[in-house]
Amino acid sequence: MNLDPVTLALVQNRLDHISHQMGWVMTRTARSPIFSQSHDFSCFIADARGTLISQADGIPIHTGGGGFAVRAILRDFKDAIAPEDVFLLNDPYTAGGNHLPDWVITRPVFVGAKLVAFACNRAHQADIGGGAAGTYNSAATEIFHEGIRLPVLKLIEAGKVRDDLWRLLMLNTRLPEALDGDLRAMIGSTRIGAERLALLVEELGVDRADEFFEGVLDHADRRFQTCIDRLEQGVWKGEEPVDNDCFEPIDAKIAVTITVKDRRLVVDFTGTSPQVRGFKNSSIANSTSAVFMSLASFFEPDLPKNEGAFRSVEIRLPEGTLVNARMPAPMTMNTVFVAHEIIHAMWKALAQALPERASAGWSKAVHAVTAGLRDDGGRYVMYQWAGAPAGGGVEGRDGFHLIGHLITLGGLTLPNLETYEQLYPARFHRQELRCDTAGAGRFRGGAGCDYEVEIFTPADYAFRGEGAGAPSSFGVAGGRAGAGGEVVLTLSDGTRIQAPKYGVERHGPGTYRALSPGGGGYGDPKTRDPERVLRDVRDGIVSAECAEKNYAVAIAADGKSINKKRTNQLREETPWSTVAPSSSAP
Amino acid sequence: MTASPALVAPWRIGVDVGGTFTDMVLRDAAGAVRIFKSPSVPADPSEGVLGVLRLAAKQLDITLTALLRDCALFVHGSTVATNTILEKKGARVGMLTTEGFRDSLEIRRGIRENQWDHRAPFPQVLVPRYLRLPVRGRIGADGTELTPLSPEDVDAAARVFAEEGVESVAVCLFNAFLDGAHERAVGGQLAKAWNGKWVSLSSEVMPTMGEYERGSTAVVNAYVAPKVTSYLRALDEQLRQFGLPRSLLLLQSNGGAVSVDQVAARPVMLVLSGPAAGVGALKGCAAPGEKANLISMEIGGTSCDVMVMARGDVPVTDELTIDGYHLTTPSVEIHTVGAGGGTIAWVDDAGLLHAGPQGAGARPGPAAYGLGGENPTVTDAQLVLGRLRPGPLAGGAVTLDAELARKAIETKLAKPLGLSVEEAAAGVIRLLEQNLLHAVERLSIERGHNPATFTLVAAGGAGPMHGTAVARALGCRRALLPRAAGAFCAMGMLQSDVRQDYLQVFLADLDKVETAALEAGFAQLEARAREALARDGFGEAEIMIERQLDLRYDGQQWPVRAPLSASGFDAAGARQAFETEHQRLFGHIQPGGRIDITALRVVGRGRLDWTPPAARSPQTDTPQPRETRKVWIDPATGWLDVPIYDGTDLRPGCRLDGPLLVEERTTTAFVGPRDVLEVDERDDFLVHVGSAPPPHSNGEVPASSRAEGS
Repeated sequence: MNLDPVTLALVQNRLDHISHQMGWVMTRTARSPIFSQSHDFSCFIADARGTLISQADGIPIHTGGGGFAVRAILRDFKDAIAPEDVFLLNDPYTAGGNHLPDWVITRPVFVGAKLVAFACNRAHQADIGGGAAGTYNSAATEIFHEGIRLPVLKLIEAGKVRDDLWRLLMLNTRLPEALDGDLRAMIGSTRIGAERLALLVEELGVDRADEFFEGVLDHADRRFQTCIDRLEQGVWKGEEPVDNDCFEPIDAKIAVTITVKDRRLVVDFTGTSPQVRGFKNSSIANSTSAVFMSLASFFEPDLPKNEGAFRSVEIRLPEGTLVNARMPAPMTMNTVFVAHEIIHAMWKALAQALPERASAGWSKAVHAVTAGLRDDGGRYVMYQWAGAPAGGGVEGRDGFHLIGHLITLGGLTLPNLETYEQLYPARFHRQELRCDTAGAGRFRGGAGCDYEVEIFTPADYAFRGEGAGAPSSFGVAGGRAGAGGEVVLTLSDGTRIQAPKYGVERHGPGTYRALSPGGGGYGDPKTRDPERVLRDVRDGIVSAECAEKNYAVAIAADGKSINKKRTNQLREETPWSTVAPSSSAP
Repeated sequence: MTASPALVAPWRIGVDVGGTFTDMVLRDAAGAVRIFKSPSVPADPSEGVLGVLRLAAKQLDITLTALLRDCALFVHGSTVATNTILEKKGARVGMLTTEGFRDSLEIRRGIRENQWDHRAPFPQVLVPRYLRLPVRGRIGADGTELTPLSPEDVDAAARVFAEEGVESVAVCLFNAFLDGAHERAVGGQLAKAWNGKWVSLSSEVMPTMGEYERGSTAVVNAYVAPKVTSYLRALDEQLRQFGLPRSLLLLQSNGGAVSVDQVAARPVMLVLSGPAAGVGALKGCAAPGEKANLISMEIGGTSCDVMVMARGDVPVTDELTIDGYHLTTPSVEIHTVGAGGGTIAWVDDAGLLHAGPQGAGARPGPAAYGLGGENPTVTDAQLVLGRLRPGPLAGGAVTLDAELARKAIETKLAKPLGLSVEEAAAGVIRLLEQNLLHAVERLSIERGHNPATFTLVAAGGAGPMHGTAVARALGCRRALLPRAAGAFCAMGMLQSDVRQDYLQVFLADLDKVETAALEAGFAQLEARAREALARDGFGEAEIMIERQLDLRYDGQQWPVRAPLSASGFDAAGARQAFETEHQRLFGHIQPGGRIDITALRVVGRGRLDWTPPAARSPQTDTPQPRETRKVWIDPATGWLDVPIYDGTDLRPGCRLDGPLLVEERTTTAFVGPRDVLEVDERDDFLVHVGSAPPPHSNGEVPASSRAEGS
């Protein structure tokens, strides 16, 4: 193929710009804050065969997973795909969905009579029915408890909305106004994407556009092969425990084996535990995205996020396991957990193949969702996001203090607590970094936080405490895991309630306290720059005691300087101390 | 500009300090405009200011004292606040916060600029945790005191600050946007218990809701205040000693000017000083009072600032990010991308061509400068294509060597890509122009505008080289290339009003609000605005007051700003104004939905009437090009002999068919083969944009329809 390199570069940028444009329109026109604040959506473009050719915007855990949805449309509708049609789907078992709350809108793009591309988005809806408001039903044991299942549907046929179908959708949500508005925003955004794509194809020539799309995929493939070249050839294994099934403790795991050979990666999850009773099971699309996200975040931030980039990656997902559950296992939580565990297992394996790019583990969230009635009778739903978990260290930078879910790579913006006091019947007491919770390392993990808020009304507490209990991050290259987390509710009569990991409980007015877990450290802590250790001690992130035990740095009596003599002794003579960071409240 | 007539006193001077050059524009009482440019002195920007003034005096053949004595208004855009932050050369700052919340500054709400780039650290926190000290005492969500302030805690903190050599203190207490009494008490006590003099209270710097951004704003203010305020006072004193009759005015991020005295307590307002003058400059591109629709691209060496003026108004927001630090100061909405003359073109390890975002800076600069730069830049590409003249540039400050440019493009781009040098150079220009196009589309889509209905103003030294092509890709019919493109912001400074913004968080249901409380809130803000403008010497007749409400639907995150009519508040009118704006911005409304008021705003303006530039006599003859040069047009056309005009030969009324180049003092304009150049009545270059080139020859053509929401 002989493509003009300048035009190819222009096409690459233009495809990404079109994906971005769809995202800007979504953010601007959507109703529910899940789109505009959490950016829990992605916009993408597929070619006529359903191969993802651009995904420039969106939440990282959607990376590279959109092609499954488009290929399901091609499979189910074949020749019945016509101009001005719009498709809708969400089912992870039959329609290429990742989990039920993420609905996919897809608009085929025609130039003349020829199908040339698809303009698509995938977005988390505010409510889709099911056993709990807000899409997360931690009591689910079957997918039927989680909301409405949509096969590939033609929502708009030749430009005309199917009103009967629309009414069916609106009947199956607790928030029809939000769903209506958000679907319209999604549809509007694909219309703009489709117009821009049609123009691009016309300019390139309808017969030549595919060659350029192929060129874009080839370029991404070549770029990722330069990444593979940096990995040591061999077989690398990673495992991450899964210690509960949302109902009780279990002894399960995600296991991955990465084989690096002949400029190819085989990512095999054989050895992963069977699917579980609760809603953490993963789908093919979600597990694939988690693998792609692990790889993309391990290498360069500007790697193209199209399917060409992963052409040299073969993924094996054994059926009936946590990473590819059989129907009707519930799976709404999977974009967070077990996606987090999949990424950890991947990062652990990759760390052995290229240690200098290793990333220590991020800790897992402990936040609850609190729902109740205001004085005026209005219902409120308050996400306790501001007690977020922490990031892990990498070469050259410490982990981020409370930052949010790994699967967003920190993309979630935390609320201002002053704003929350205006919105909810609540008063905040504290949002402070926890001492000695950051995993020790040459580049330490981020600190967890001590978050406390008084809730003035009785409320339903939906607990999501995956990060409570044992440490949930991991250290790498000699670094240590961060401290574990804990969630405690103290009622106004003084009763102290230890929160379960998952479950919904109704309690009277009280004080919610979340101690979020710390991130993992990178590298041997004894090699950390003593000046950085001193700063951490002065900042109260590390105690003087732990500075000495974990980092072999002695702090002088004034607390403001290093006892150099003793530090030199410690660093030469003291063997590595195995003292783990404390997991109790400061 | 030879044989200019003598200046007519009094005159105005605008000085804009940039990274490489300090620009000065002088306009006299007759409307005659003079432009001067001299190198900036980054180590001491005031040297650059005095340098350009001395140069101007010399070229005007008068003394510096004479130049300043007859200057009625001196407006200055200073990068000193910005550079203090970028270079991390601010004060040692201590911070006081409500107990339990001392980490908001470091948590930063978890905001990542680019989440995929997770290996990049956050910018260093400006106050280390051990200098962020807690104070007991609490204001509740309704503004009442829950727990009294603890004076012992303030005293204890003051002792730490003294021991630790803290030079400047920021105070941000929880809910202080509702009542600043505790903060003021802290300030009063610090004055007694601490020997430092710089204290920034969040409720006085900018009383917005949200402890992170309000605290961050107070901290940045505390960080820059000692240095910036001292610098500005010294510069002002120096100019006054040379004869300047009235204190100089500084241009603020809100696009308006302010006196040194009034900005001294809030120098954080100067972070966008410079680029924000684009507002004044855009006003100068429209007829007086015209509700113009203009989009400007100001393209410099490494970056391009995009600004949208819709119906004569450039939006001012509360959101500004500088080097990763978040501010809630009133700031003109500007979208900046890394695209300019010094933008580096490169080929990645998988063979794809890119332009930017890295730039070559002033040093080593483009390969053609011969200062050691080996990476090909946009400037090198223009030189190779014949669109820039080889030889001395900017009065001989640098020299462009076409051979060096050609070599860089050949070895780094053309050979690896298998292209001719011309094709590679043209590819670099197309990629840059695509990047500019995407930047303009982003801002206009996000604000709900259709760029095709706007006139594109291409300013900055490199702007007129790209304006026509980008306008064509946007679907604009006209591109305006200002004659003084290279001194656009300095020009804007002569056309800016004095402006002060005031805000009070005010939470109420629009339909149930007590009008008396609302009026009282507005009256208080208005009194502050009038008092401040009076102190700067404005009489009642020169003061303009505008009242605005921040409104949002119940439960929404972002408010929409709605102006109130002069006749006062009425809920129905406010609802209508809100719905109109909401429909345009977001594509939908909620008929009858509950609307909350979130803030009262007052904008106070002190009018500085400005003389429009004197009309030049119209063109009577047919202007002749000074020379012709071979210029590469596009792959289909190849090289053409293109006439080169000297800008001073082109007068109002002149019309010329492209292709052509116009060389001006601060810029070079390129007009393509299907375009027509007209010199408008303001003596600027207006290009009537021709149709797109034939299909398949270019990566960008105008879109048939635009994002207007669903």
